[in-house]
Amino acid sequence: MNKRVVVSILLLLVLSVLLTACGGGGSDVIRIGINAPLTGDNPKVGEGTKYAAEMWLEDINAAGGLDVGGKKYQVELVIEDNEYKAESATKANTKLITQDEVLLIIGPQSSQQAVPAGGVANDNKTPMISPWSTNPNTTKDRPWVFRTPFLDPFQGPVIANFAAEQFGATKAAVLYDVASDYPKGLAEFFKQAWEEKFGEGSVVAFESFTTKDQDFSAQLTKIKESGADFIFTPQYYSEVPLIVQQAHELGWDKPIVGSDSWGSAELVNLCGDDCDGLFFSTHYAAAGATGATKEFIDRYNAKYGYVPDDVGALTWDTLLIAQTAIQNCGKITGDLAVDRECVRDALANIKDFHGITGDMTFTPEGDPIKCAVIVRISDAGEFEFFKQVCP
Amino acid sequence: MTAQTIQESKKGRRFRLWWQSVWSRFDDVPLLGWLVGALVAVGLEYAVGRPFAQLLGMRKSPALFGFLFILKEPWLIPSAIVYVAVMYILPIAAVAKVTAAVANKTAAAMLRISTLLSVAIHLVLLYAVLHIWTDVLPYRLIVVKLTLIAIVITLSLNVVNGYMGEFSCSHPGFISLGAYGASVVTILLFDDPGPWLFPLALIVGGIVAAIGALLVAIPSFRTRGDYLAIISLAFTFIIKSFMENMEFVGGPRGLGGQPNWASLPVVFVVTIIAIWVINNFVRSILGKALNAVRDNEAAADAMTVNTRRTKMTAFLFSAFWAGVAGGLLAHVLAFINPASFGLQKLAEVLAMVYFGGLNSVVGSIVGAVSLNLLGEMLRPLEIWKWIVIPLMLILMMIYRPTGLVAFKEFDIVALLQPKKTTKGDE
Repeated sequence: MNKRVVVSILLLLVLSVLLTACGGGGSDVIRIGINAPLTGDNPKVGEGTKYAAEMWLEDINAAGGLDVGGKKYQVELVIEDNEYKAESATKANTKLITQDEVLLIIGPQSSQQAVPAGGVANDNKTPMISPWSTNPNTTKDRPWVFRTPFLDPFQGPVIANFAAEQFGATKAAVLYDVASDYPKGLAEFFKQAWEEKFGEGSVVAFESFTTKDQDFSAQLTKIKESGADFIFTPQYYSEVPLIVQQAHELGWDKPIVGSDSWGSAELVNLCGDDCDGLFFSTHYAAAGATGATKEFIDRYNAKYGYVPDDVGALTWDTLLIAQTAIQNCGKITGDLAVDRECVRDALANIKDFHGITGDMTFTPEGDPIKCAVIVRISDAGEFEFFKQVCP
Repeated sequence: MTAQTIQESKKGRRFRLWWQSVWSRFDDVPLLGWLVGALVAVGLEYAVGRPFAQLLGMRKSPALFGFLFILKEPWLIPSAIVYVAVMYILPIAAVAKVTAAVANKTAAAMLRISTLLSVAIHLVLLYAVLHIWTDVLPYRLIVVKLTLIAIVITLSLNVVNGYMGEFSCSHPGFISLGAYGASVVTILLFDDPGPWLFPLALIVGGIVAAIGALLVAIPSFRTRGDYLAIISLAFTFIIKSFMENMEFVGGPRGLGGQPNWASLPVVFVVTIIAIWVINNFVRSILGKALNAVRDNEAAADAMTVNTRRTKMTAFLFSAFWAGVAGGLLAHVLAFINPASFGLQKLAEVLAMVYFGGLNSVVGSIVGAVSLNLLGEMLRPLEIWKWIVIPLMLILMMIYRPTGLVAFKEFDIVALLQPKKTTKGDE
C-alpha cells in the first residue's frame, strides 16, 4: 500500500508539472485586483464593475499588453467578490494584497466595504482606488487610498446653486433615507449649502424615511404644505420612482431634483413618464455624450446590452487612471514594495487626467477635484447633458 | 443495472475498509501527538513552503489548501493535492505515528501532575500551530481571526437557541451593541489609550450587550416560541435604527479607526476563555436547569427550578459573550456600521449554530469553523456559492435535523487522555 501511495504522489507530481507548464503565465505579468460586490445586496454594482474591467482588459490585450517604459507587460485581473459585506471586503483585500500580490486594487465600490478595505490597503502599503465610495473616511489619513467620484461636500452646493438659478427657488424641501449613509450625508450637505445661501429656515421641510419604506405620502403631504419650491431627494433608483409618482398623485407639480444615485438605466424603466423633465447631478451624461464617453457607452451597450450607469463609467476611469499611473511609473522592477510605492506616487502626481466622467486631479487626501454634470431626463427617457458645474 | 450497483457498492466497501485500515493505524495517537505533528507540518511549510509551491507551478503556498484557485485554475489541482499531501498529511501522519508512544506517556504524565497543566500545554501547542500557519500568509491570519470570533458568537447563541431551546433572533443586536460599546471606549472616551484598555473595552462591550438583553428579556420572557422570536427580531431592528440615529457614533456612516489591538494572541485567548466559561456554564447545575426548562418548563418549575431566573441568567450570559465577540470584531475590521448587523448577520449566525449542532459546544466550534472556511474556500464560485452552501444546509436539515455534532458534552479531560489500547474512536 505504501508503494501505491508513493507511486500515486509521484504520478501527481509529474502531472502537476506538465499541466502547469502549459497553464502557467510568464514573469512579466502585472496583476490588478478588483474588489467588487458580485453577490449580496447590490450585485448590479458588481456587474458594472466587472464588465468595465473586462472591457479594459480587452483593450490592453488587443494592444499586446501594457506598455511600461518600452516593455510590454501582460495584465491579469484578479476579481474578488466582497458579497457587499465589510468582513468579506477586508478578507478579499488581504487576499489580493498578500496572496495574489496585486500591484494595486480597484474597489470596493460602496463605502460600507471601502472604508474597512481601505484600512487594509493602507496598512499593507498597497495603492487602492475606490471608484464609487463617497464616505470621507475612505481616504482620510490614508496616503495609499484614492477615489474617483467627487465628494458629497462638493455635490451638495452644486445642486443648491443649480436649483437657485434654474428654478429661482428660495425654499427647499428634502426627502431622504435616514438609515443609509449616502443619502443622509448628502441631504445634510445640501441643507447646509442652501441655508448658507438663503439663511436659517430656508429648508422648509427636512423629511426622512427608513430604507425599504414604500409609502412616502405622509412626508410628501408635509412637504407640499410647507410651500417649498422644489424637492431634493438623493435616493436610489428603486425609491425615486415611488417618490416621484406619489408626489404627482398628491398634486405636486413643482420640480424634483436628484443626485448621482439617480443615474441608473433602471430609473426610467421604473418611473415611466413621471420622471420626464426632472434634473439630477451626476458624473456623466449618457445621452448626447461625445468623444471618448460616447465611445465607451456605445461599446458597453453593444457588448452587454444596456447603457452603463455611473459605476461602470467611474470604474472605467479608475482603470485608466491606474494604467496612467503605472505607465508614469516608468518601469516595473518586480519588487512589489518598490513598484507599489512608485504607483502610489504616480497616482498622487496625476494632473488633469481626461476621463469620461470629466477631468480630474487628486488632492493630497486622495480625493479628485472634478466637475459635476447636471442631467435632464428627456421626454424619451434619456439622460441628457444639461450643464456642467466645476469647482 | 443491479450488477453495476453491486459492483459499485463493492468498490465503496473496499474503499471504506481500506480507509478504516489506514485510520486504525492511528488509533493509538493522542491529541498531543496530532498537535506535535501539526506543529512539525506548519514548521516545514514555514521553512520550505514557498519554494516547494513554486516548484509545483504555484506562485505562493496555497492559503486554504488550494481551494481558492483550483476552482478557477483547474490545471493546478494536482499541484494542490501534492502540496497538501507533502506539506500537511504526510508529516502529520508520520510524526504522529512515530511520536505516538512518547506522546502517550507524556500525556499521561501531564494529566497525573495536573489537568490544568495538560490543558495549558495543549493550548500552547495549538496556538503555536496557528501562529506559524498564519505567519506564512497574512490572508490566513484574517481568516483565522474572524473564524475564532465566529466561534464565540456561535457558542453564545447556542446557549439560548440550543441549551435553552428558544429561538432568539436578537444576536446581531447584541453583537452590534458590543461592537459599539467597545469602540466607544477605545475611540471616543480616551485620548491616547493603551492596549491595556482593550480587555476593559471588551468587558464594557459585553456589559452593554447584556443590558440590551435585559431590556429585551423583561417584556419578552412572558412569551415563548414564535413570539419570542418575533420580539427578539424586532430588537435587532431597533438596535440598528438606534445606531443609525446616534450621531456621536457616526450614524449610518459607521464608526472607524479602532486601534489595531485584536491581534491573533488576543483573539485566541478571548476565544479560549469564552469556550472554557461557556462550557463550564452549560455543564453546571444552571446549565442542566436550562435543559430542564427547555424540555418542560412546567415540570422544571415543579422540580424547584427557578425558571425565570434561569432563563434570564442564560440570556444575559449569552448576550455578554456576543458583545465581547462584537468588540473583537470591531477591532479586527477597524470599522463598524449599523447595516452590518442586520438580517444577513442573523442568517449567518443561525446557520452556524444549526449546522454545527444544537446543545453542543463542539458542535458550535465545528459549525463556525466549517461554515467560515467553506464560505472562504467557495468564494471564487461567486453566485454559485449561494446555491452550494444553502443546499448543504438543506441536506443537513433533512439528514441530521439537529446539526452535525448535536447534544454532545465537551469533555476536555477525555480529549486529552492518552490512547494506549486500540479502542474505536469514540
